[in-house]
Amino acid sequence: MDVNLLIVVIEFLAGGFLLFLGITVARDNLGNRLNRVAGAMFIAAGLAPLSLGLAGLTVLTGTTPLTGDDLLTRLAVVWEFFFPLLLVFSWLFPVDRLRHFRYPAMRTFVYFPALIHVVVVVLFTDVSPFLAFLTAAVANEGFLSIILSPLVQLLTQLLLLFNWIAENHIPIFTAINALYAATAMYYLEAGYRFISNPLVKRQTQLVIWGIRLGLIGYFGAWALELVWDASLATVGVNVLWFIGLAGMVGFVGYALFRHQFLDVQLVFRQSLIFTITSAVLVGLYLAIGMRLTDWLVPLIGQGAQVLGWVLLVILLLLFQPINSWIDNIIQLLFMRTRSDHRSIIERFSRQIITQFDPRALRETIEETLKTSLLVEDVYFVLFDDTVSEYAVLPGDGVPRRRVLDRSDLMLRAINLLDQPTPYATLTAYGRDSSLADFFNERRVKLILPLKDSKHLLGCLALTGKAAGYTYSAEDINLLGVLANQMVTALTNARLYAESLERLRLQEEISMARQIQLDLLPRRPPDWPTLSISAFSAPSRTVGGDFYDFIPVPSRNRLGIVIADASGKGMPAALLIAQIQAILRAEVNNGNPISRILCNMNQQINESTSSEKYVTLFYGEFDPAGGQFHYANAGHNYPIVVRRDGRVEWLEQGGPIIGAFGGMQYTEAEVALTEDDLIFFFTDGLSEAMNSAGEEFGEQRLADMLITLRDRDPKSILAAVLADVKKHDSSSPPQDDTTVIALKRCADGTMSVATG
Amino acid sequence: MKLSDREQDGVVILEPKGKIMGGPDASLLHDKLYEYIEHDKKQVIVDLSQVDWMNSTGLGILISGYTTLKNSGGELKLANVTDKIQSLLTITKLVTVFDAYDSIEDAIQSFR
Repeated sequence: MDVNLLIVVIEFLAGGFLLFLGITVARDNLGNRLNRVAGAMFIAAGLAPLSLGLAGLTVLTGTTPLTGDDLLTRLAVVWEFFFPLLLVFSWLFPVDRLRHFRYPAMRTFVYFPALIHVVVVVLFTDVSPFLAFLTAAVANEGFLSIILSPLVQLLTQLLLLFNWIAENHIPIFTAINALYAATAMYYLEAGYRFISNPLVKRQTQLVIWGIRLGLIGYFGAWALELVWDASLATVGVNVLWFIGLAGMVGFVGYALFRHQFLDVQLVFRQSLIFTITSAVLVGLYLAIGMRLTDWLVPLIGQGAQVLGWVLLVILLLLFQPINSWIDNIIQLLFMRTRSDHRSIIERFSRQIITQFDPRALRETIEETLKTSLLVEDVYFVLFDDTVSEYAVLPGDGVPRRRVLDRSDLMLRAINLLDQPTPYATLTAYGRDSSLADFFNERRVKLILPLKDSKHLLGCLALTGKAAGYTYSAEDINLLGVLANQMVTALTNARLYAESLERLRLQEEISMARQIQLDLLPRRPPDWPTLSISAFSAPSRTVGGDFYDFIPVPSRNRLGIVIADASGKGMPAALLIAQIQAILRAEVNNGNPISRILCNMNQQINESTSSEKYVTLFYGEFDPAGGQFHYANAGHNYPIVVRRDGRVEWLEQGGPIIGAFGGMQYTEAEVALTEDDLIFFFTDGLSEAMNSAGEEFGEQRLADMLITLRDRDPKSILAAVLADVKKHDSSSPPQDDTTVIALKRCADGTMSVATG
Repeated sequence: MKLSDREQDGVVILEPKGKIMGGPDASLLHDKLYEYIEHDKKQVIVDLSQVDWMNSTGLGILISGYTTLKNSGGELKLANVTDKIQSLLTITKLVTVFDAYDSIEDAIQSFR
């Protein structure tokens, strides 16, 4: 195949594509300046390969050898309007700078060099007729010529200047074009840095690369022609032209189809059909017009030619309504906006329905808004459960959460909204509002309130759409629907997170309960001459009561402790765990009882605040002499019931543990003989309250123990607990309850029972 | 618990009413105390005549109030201690820590 033919075909295809692209982009939204400029830019770009192709074709067919001076070649410079258009495009895309342009006249002025180029090349390549006319004008002797003479002189000079420009137009205007291209690329790249939407970023990058390659091809080819002999350079020039054209068309085309750049994929299809139908129609009309003329010639002679043209004009006038009718049908067939939005909603609800992780959900929402509506940035203002306030959540450009004041005026204004609202209408509420300051700073354009039936969950703040597009009424309707779906999804995610959290807490508490149960002795120790029974029940899962039996090898005694931490639940349980650890350590150190309590008080006082304290009773039973040594740190007095029914209370000791530093504790002792009973308890037992508000009471307990004193500890415990239960039947019990019954048995006997 | 407060002869008198328990009661008393401490009023009497019950957390609140005042150079005294609370103070052996008086007047006198 002839290489030249291939080149011509490529040139025609590329030119056709760019032309078509330009028309499509412009047609998408003629009201938008960006569309008009981009469209004109692509059309101008398309003219270059088209004129080249046309020139190549004439060379191939050999019909009219183009010398470079003919009108067609000269008109081809029209394509160089591409450069000013590219510059204006770079001022509009991706950042609209024109709106705040300091010199508005610049946007008109930039077209002048290209205009002069066309005028000069078309009109002043051959100035001889003008010069002849001027010479003739001066030659005419008379009054006029005297006046005109200087003017003619000036005009002649001007003509010569224009002619000079026309003869050297290629280097002059290529230099100007290079300047334009460099400036435009600067603005494009600078604007590119402002884009945060990843999709638009990719698209823009592709477009910039396309334009870059186009420029490399154009300037490269020109430079090559300048440096090398024309015949040698031909191949190189063609290669560069090819790279430029293919690069530009390829990248821009890929950006269009791959990323729906400027949302034209559908419009594109539409335009294709529209163009083909239009072409067929035009062909049809032309054929009819021609045939009509042919048909009329025999009838009315040469006049038919004129009549034929008139008919053609009439037909073309008819063409316009038919054309728009076709346009409507195509619109209807594609239902562009509706089907687009429907698919967005479908896709969106599919994605978010299974999304329970709030962060991932927010990412999905952000992604959808950015890709489907080309929103530049999305900010989330949501009620934050962790701080019980509304907050701007971290995300793009928001490094950390910004908690808002509940009385923030803008927040209250948003609370009154029930549909997507332009932020501009809310500026009245911006005074002293940190949220409004944030919105202003981020150039927020639209507020999307998120409300369930009662409450404001928060809102989405959207900045403008990419490339300065504004939100259409359809967009706002769509956002309203999406907002409702978001509310459902966010509520679901929150409920899910809450149930997970509850589950986790429950697990933790049951673990704590297990730890606490493990800290309590599983059964009272086997100790000669003692019979012990113990019972402990927290009012919640974990409690602040505690008892333990600790062997004291250094003194060959058995230590017994019962304690009750202030408060209930987890805080009390933590305090108790600390008490147990300290006590065991102190006992192992072999310290005397008063010292043990003194040290413990000091440590707890230093490590907790003063309102956290423990009432604690610690005693040691010495089996050798039957002595019970003890110190009572503010705990309910344990009751000693002697065999004969006498009652004693074990009061001696000191203040509660942990409330005040520097407390002293005194040790006391009581001798136990056979069948003597000691009953230890916490206030959960003595203060158990009936429905009338009467406490069980210590006296009642003592009286009961007197009657029960002949029984064994296990049975005594059971009877007391049953009676207390009768008194206060609330379940669970109001306070942690712990009891220990200890009885001295005959020497040599051993009795063990567990509660 | 409800809390009212007044001043008599330069001494702050706090009058809790009802049950002193945990939760909001703690911050209620605490905030009031801090308010007075900030105005350099550090002689405080807690009138317990209208307190019918106090649990372990309630006692913790009194203790913390006592400590707070003491640490800022003031003093907290009790007046009109009911039998129930007296027995609580006895068991916990806090009678040695808290100064308790039978009447407001006696308590005020003790500051002289």
